[in-house]
Amino acid sequence: MNDTHHKKTTGSDNGVSRRYFLRVAGTVTLGIGVGGYAGVKEALPKIVKLADGRSGLPVSGGYLLVDEKKCQGCMSCMLACSLVNEGVENPSLSRIQIIQNSFEKWPADLTIEQCRQCVDPNCVNACPEDALKVDGKFGNVRRVVDIDKCIGCGACVEACPYTPSRPIMMPDEKYGGDLKARKCELCADAPYHWDPEGGGPNGKQACVEVCPVGAIQFTAEVPQQEGDTGYKVNLRDSKWSAMGYPRR
Amino acid sequence: MNGYAGKILRVNLTHRKITTIPTRKYEPWVGGHGMGSAIFFDLVKDKTIDGFDPANVITLMTSPLAGTLTPAGAARTEMQGIGVQSVPIGWFTRSNFGGRFSSMLKYAGWDGIVLEGRADEPVWLDIRNREVKIRNCSKLALWGTDTWECQQRIWRYVAGEKVYGDWLEPAGADGGQTTQRPAVLATGPAGENLSRVACLIHDAGSGAGQGGFGAVWGSKRLKAVSVIGTGSIRVNNPKALMQARLWQKQNYAFKMDNLKRRFMSVDFQSPPIPGTLYRRGKPNTGKRPQACVGCHSGCRGRYEDGLGNESTCFTTIFYLFADSLDIQRQASDLLNRYGLNAAEMLWGELYLADLQRSGIIGPGMEIDCPLNFENYGQPAFAEQLVKMIAYRNDGLGNSHPFGDDLAEGFVRAAQKWGRLDGEYGDLKTGRLRFPCWGLPQHKEPRSQLDWAYGTILGDRDINEHGFDQLRSNPSYNKRWGIPLYGSAEEVVRIYTDKMVPFQGDRLMLDFSAGNMYSEHIAKLVTWHRYYTRFWKQSAQFCDWRWPDFLNLYGPGKVGSTGVAEPKFLHAVTGKNFTFLDGIELGRKIWNLDHAIWTLQGRHRDMVHFADFLYTQPSSSLDGTPEYMPGRENGKWQYIKTLGRHFEKDKFEEFKTRFYELQGWETNSGYPMESTLKSLGLDSVAHELGQNGKLGKG
Repeated sequence: MNDTHHKKTTGSDNGVSRRYFLRVAGTVTLGIGVGGYAGVKEALPKIVKLADGRSGLPVSGGYLLVDEKKCQGCMSCMLACSLVNEGVENPSLSRIQIIQNSFEKWPADLTIEQCRQCVDPNCVNACPEDALKVDGKFGNVRRVVDIDKCIGCGACVEACPYTPSRPIMMPDEKYGGDLKARKCELCADAPYHWDPEGGGPNGKQACVEVCPVGAIQFTAEVPQQEGDTGYKVNLRDSKWSAMGYPRR
Repeated sequence: MNGYAGKILRVNLTHRKITTIPTRKYEPWVGGHGMGSAIFFDLVKDKTIDGFDPANVITLMTSPLAGTLTPAGAARTEMQGIGVQSVPIGWFTRSNFGGRFSSMLKYAGWDGIVLEGRADEPVWLDIRNREVKIRNCSKLALWGTDTWECQQRIWRYVAGEKVYGDWLEPAGADGGQTTQRPAVLATGPAGENLSRVACLIHDAGSGAGQGGFGAVWGSKRLKAVSVIGTGSIRVNNPKALMQARLWQKQNYAFKMDNLKRRFMSVDFQSPPIPGTLYRRGKPNTGKRPQACVGCHSGCRGRYEDGLGNESTCFTTIFYLFADSLDIQRQASDLLNRYGLNAAEMLWGELYLADLQRSGIIGPGMEIDCPLNFENYGQPAFAEQLVKMIAYRNDGLGNSHPFGDDLAEGFVRAAQKWGRLDGEYGDLKTGRLRFPCWGLPQHKEPRSQLDWAYGTILGDRDINEHGFDQLRSNPSYNKRWGIPLYGSAEEVVRIYTDKMVPFQGDRLMLDFSAGNMYSEHIAKLVTWHRYYTRFWKQSAQFCDWRWPDFLNLYGPGKVGSTGVAEPKFLHAVTGKNFTFLDGIELGRKIWNLDHAIWTLQGRHRDMVHFADFLYTQPSSSLDGTPEYMPGRENGKWQYIKTLGRHFEKDKFEEFKTRFYELQGWETNSGYPMESTLKSLGLDSVAHELGQNGKLGKG
């Protein structure tokens, strides 16, 4: 197959690595509040300082974890995402992307690319207009808090170290077709949210709720930032294997 | 127009002309089959043309639900036109496939595609949003490729310098972006060589199998249609759609922590398990379920060794006596790659093996056959058989009339060999299991009456599983001890309560021999024709998941059908369209289709089964009994439905009852003017009248 995916999933090359490869010990210093760090016992502050001494941003109150070996490729998460956030059905507007090649062998036939709500979010840092911020109102999720300010420059897209870029840039009919940035906000303040309680880290996320097989999970614990293992996890249990699927 | 893209793409291959039809013109039909039939009726002036005639119009229609969050209702594409597979003529027919094609077509801005004419050289259609090009196959050397290679060449071409996995701008910098591969529907070598049993394949295993449409595309010199889109589908009420989806998930879909069954079933509640039927069981390898766009419960699989990706159903029964599971899986891939109808190949291969065992076919025998039966069970045999039909030769690259014969379909081949003649002709003995219109058997017709009557009164193997659980559940209960869904009486009540406007007539589901030809069974067939013509083939709810009659998660085991379908249609389109409205529109579509068959030459006298259904007792392929609901001594039970056959005279009586119920002239089967006009089909009545085919009364 010549059409295999080419990913820069970990952002481990070029200049971004120093900023992104946080280590659990040493690189993060105490701020305020207490959070958890997936897989480690130590409490993690909600405001972090980075190893290079820069002031950190508060960590997000929530993250999406996915299981690429479990996903059934129905793209319902993409349809729900676009529906709840944009009021239309359009996979190109989905903040989570399922990418498949039906001729490939499992598990290389499918990848799930979701926003990581990075502890040190390049997209937020890159936004020249303060349109994209850490939003304390919604559990410090990294979000486009002021779409009016977005000038469609694409800096957030360029800054994202992952492929495909998690911020997406699409023409917006409400702005006369001008390019506007969108990104995963864990459905915080989603204009078409179905639940009266709404979304965000303390609410419901469309992709998690709709996934028929439980291949997307919400966690309030900060995933391992280095590499993919913190975000691409094993959600297969005995119930899954009871249907004839492997847990490995 | 919420739910619609607003335009239908019209492509004239002869003149290489691309135009559009406003969807609104056909919106009263809602989508899918209804729209396709209406467009066909309008554009094909002479309905008696052959399927290979360039004037044959092929429609590929989506629905307003395509590409939305409707569970098992967002991914089907309905293809129609005059087919080339059935006997004695190729009826105006349909085929349907899932995957990503219909949703991608909608995102590209099209509600459907209309194909006409014949190109002067092999071409493919390259759709990137509203930008549409008819491209010659020569540049990518597509003509001659198998369906998988064809798709991947197009993928690479559309990506250009980019690679999949990143954002692509397939229609240029101003055309939006996507991470997705184009959805491609392609014909294989079988279609290129006009095999009447050629199908079309999308991705690894989504096939439009029936009708021989692969060959129709071949005759039009159309290799593939590729579509990639980045646009939006407007939704009437996004919140309501999301709420409906979660309502369906919470109340009617499988629950992994409360599985009612651990195997795949053809209904809404089924867990996501591949619907493979390999003789030696499920592949014991790493795998995932794989679902069409928007489906809550995938019915296909992708595997660690890549064999049989996305293959299901008939494709996985072909080559039943392969020496190993993996060989049978390889054989299923061969069907998909070369583009052959799996049901035809299953029964056809068994027929050839039978003839060979009887010393009838073989080198230099009564029928000169170059198939090497010493390889039977090995991959080489399946490959030779598939290739001989795909290339019309001996399967090894040498000219031979045997492959040419088989490429015409097994019934036509048998007829040419003289094997249908005389008292012991193969359709009289049942040696050739092609019971309706020269098409391969699916469910046992003498047992599953809805299936048999729907097929013979229509145009093709209906392949509609709405009542299949009435047979499979009690039969598997007796065979393997799996729990019953309920008593026969309870199940019949739950089903028939939903069958408006005939609700409550329990005898519609009495499959006992004494009820085989009754007005109640005529109502069952009528309801099924109407439901499927609209809700399944026009709104395009998936056949393997709908209707949701009986659901073990539902309150009192009552499924969501009747409530769910209009709920989703309303959330997406805003149409105040009831379940019964859909049944009524289905009736109109069914009548339109019947009018087209009548114009093609259909007459009551032609409507009969192959002889073996009247003379031979029914039996299952593996010899196990079948059970269905029925009354014995006035009591509802699961009764044995094998071992019986149809009676010719009684079937004639049944036809009369059915025609009366439809408002068709009973001695000809022609539609009556009053019936058509009451349905708003005045122009159809006019055309029938002009052709002397309007029923009296």
